[in-house]
Amino acid sequence: MGRPWHTFRVGRLLLIAIVAAWLVSSGSLSRSAQNSALDLEGNPADPLKMAAGRVVVLVFVRTDCPISNRYAPTVQRLSAAHAGKAVFWLVYPSKAESAESIRKHEREFGYKLPALRDPQRVLVKESQVQITPEVAVFDAARRLVYHGRIDNLYEDIGRARSAATTHELEDAIAATLSGRTLSAGTAPAVGCYISDLE
Amino acid sequence: MTRASQALSGFIALLALASVGFAARHATSRRQANPQPATAAREVTFNRDVAPIVFHNCALCHHPGEAGPFPLLTYADVKSHARQIAFVTDKRIMPPWLPDPGELKFTDELRLSDEQIATLQAWVDQGMLEGSAADLPAKPTFSAGWQLGKPDVIVRAEKPYVLPASGSDSYWNFVFRNPVNRSHWLKAIEIRPGDKRLVHHANILVDREESGRRLEKEPGAGFGGMELIIESEAFDPDSHFLFWKPGSPPYVEPDGMALRLEKNTDLVLNTHFQPSGKPEPIQPTLGLYFTDKPATLHPILIQLDNDRLLDIPPGEKNFLVSDDFTLPVDATILAIYPHAHYLGKDLLALATFPDGTKKTLIHISHWDLNWQAVYRYAQPVKLVSGTTIVMRYVYDNSRDNSANPNDPPKRVVAGNRASDEMAHLWLQVLPVSNTAGEPASSADPRIKLEEALARHHIENNADDFEAHYNLGAMLHMRGETRNAAAQFAEAQRLRPGDATVENALGGALLAMGQLSAAIEQLSAAAKARPDYFDAHYNLGLALEKLGRKPEAIAEYQAALKPRPDFTAARNALSRLAATGAQNPSASVGH
Repeated sequence: MGRPWHTFRVGRLLLIAIVAAWLVSSGSLSRSAQNSALDLEGNPADPLKMAAGRVVVLVFVRTDCPISNRYAPTVQRLSAAHAGKAVFWLVYPSKAESAESIRKHEREFGYKLPALRDPQRVLVKESQVQITPEVAVFDAARRLVYHGRIDNLYEDIGRARSAATTHELEDAIAATLSGRTLSAGTAPAVGCYISDLE
Repeated sequence: MTRASQALSGFIALLALASVGFAARHATSRRQANPQPATAAREVTFNRDVAPIVFHNCALCHHPGEAGPFPLLTYADVKSHARQIAFVTDKRIMPPWLPDPGELKFTDELRLSDEQIATLQAWVDQGMLEGSAADLPAKPTFSAGWQLGKPDVIVRAEKPYVLPASGSDSYWNFVFRNPVNRSHWLKAIEIRPGDKRLVHHANILVDREESGRRLEKEPGAGFGGMELIIESEAFDPDSHFLFWKPGSPPYVEPDGMALRLEKNTDLVLNTHFQPSGKPEPIQPTLGLYFTDKPATLHPILIQLDNDRLLDIPPGEKNFLVSDDFTLPVDATILAIYPHAHYLGKDLLALATFPDGTKKTLIHISHWDLNWQAVYRYAQPVKLVSGTTIVMRYVYDNSRDNSANPNDPPKRVVAGNRASDEMAHLWLQVLPVSNTAGEPASSADPRIKLEEALARHHIENNADDFEAHYNLGAMLHMRGETRNAAAQFAEAQRLRPGDATVENALGGALLAMGQLSAAIEQLSAAAKARPDYFDAHYNLGLALEKLGRKPEAIAEYQAALKPRPDFTAARNALSRLAATGAQNPSASVGH
């Protein structure tokens, strides 16, 4: 896809530098735990290394972002509609969010998806996302084929349509499953900045 | 005065529930923070520069239990949304405040200055410094309970409404049946709409005629709908904006502006919700605050509209709808409430004075239904008789308007549904009484104003049902029963079978002595709505006049069934008993 890889590399390098500095100061946590997302038991987890042969959809969310929350039924519906073909993960990029508060959030909003914490923003960087809610779609070869909004329900913060009229996530999944190249680039997501999070 | 004429003063006020309301008069003054203009040279810190802005302009809603989706009370709170805050303030999405700055000021303006916005941007650009603890102003404190103290009466909606997890906005109405058991003067209502994060606005209509109940499928269930018609009385029109929007504390009416609440009065709460992502049961509560100071000032609501011209072709980006109304009396504007639905784009109201000079009453150049509100003037606006109030609304029915409910755009006309459109402007005015040189007897300026308004609406649209009805009510009050009957007949032509109109027309015919025609109308009204006590009573009067006493007694009894303390009906029964008719009191009880 047309993403410039050098940007990705810079991101990686920076990350390693930060992690290295962190390890020097704390010294106790294993390197692997700091270099990957975590499941709710605290174990390192890489959704891109699982579900071989299937499309992976990462949905970046935040417990206190109202736009992110409003998408819960849509995300749940889309994941069910693509069961067996695409694997959906919720990713919480907040460092402050505990496994317990994430479980509570999932229960409250009726999510039945596996959830990951991404305190080191490993998946955020691999997915090149900036916003919650924002989705990243990876094909079976784990190439990032789309990242951006789920649909166009929100034109801007505070400006919602009565219903979405374009459906970028569904289109991206359909194109990937059928082996088509996505012609459209990213459609910017509307919501809360991940960079605001601790 | 017979009960017939009292009943006839029934007056229909078409209020778009969607928002009659009051903008907050905050108990604490929202003192504008006045930071130094941010410059590249100056370090911007949270404690010194940002906290005063956020505490005064954001925290009102952004604290736990309030409408804001996250709190903004501490450095950590604000930092965790810093870029978002910089973005939404720069685009003036937040704080939500629609009117453009102008000559006339509103109470509790929630508008950041350009300097304040620049300060927020600079703070983010400089890396969100916390600064010295000594600079941090006191954190605002909020009370979680009733904002005006313990209410005199607390009422809760009988049944919750469950807001679906997803979908578009919902509009729901809750009927609070007879919240008081005797007459009171009401000075404030605190609306606790339920989870405030879900409620865009809420608005109370005073319903003296059980109009809301009749729309419920089952008692207490409430009913859907964005706009509704509540019947009210002409001579005591409930011309108060009872409105809640996020962050607005309850509005306390000034002395002399209290609202009459009686034991048979219902309150109807109209609410606008946005789904949150999970199903949310919502069961609002109202707190009522009484005063012993009766109303001495009687505001009325002027409604400008021109719905007949609302016929917006698909794709049209600049569709203009206007209306002009010239005041027949001096009047002081207290508050203004512009209202359109999702296609509204630019809403303007002007006053053109008799000398030709103009003053902008309100201008909203970026209309957004979600943040509609009632705006109260910091200084009431005095207008002399002969001043023309001008409404100029522009609509965008193209795809460029993201709020457009239709994709692809389609023709939109006036209507009460969210997908229909409206062009309404309400002004709460105090007509000035007894202008010099006029005899006091002819000078209730409210009647003059209402009559002029009704005639104006008929001029705009000869098929305006409410206008014909209201003009009939005014004429009837002035004793012009023949002309009143003609207006009611017009209303009946427009809405055949409407029981309220049948009762009014029947009453006018009764006053004219056309008894059999009156009986025909009144019987139809009573048959259509068996609990319509006014119609039964008026029918009783007509039958009594014809000497059909047993039938009259039956009608008076029918009037007492839904309303056992209906004094006029009781008196009528006593009167008939005294003249030797069958004593009915045993059958109705006391």
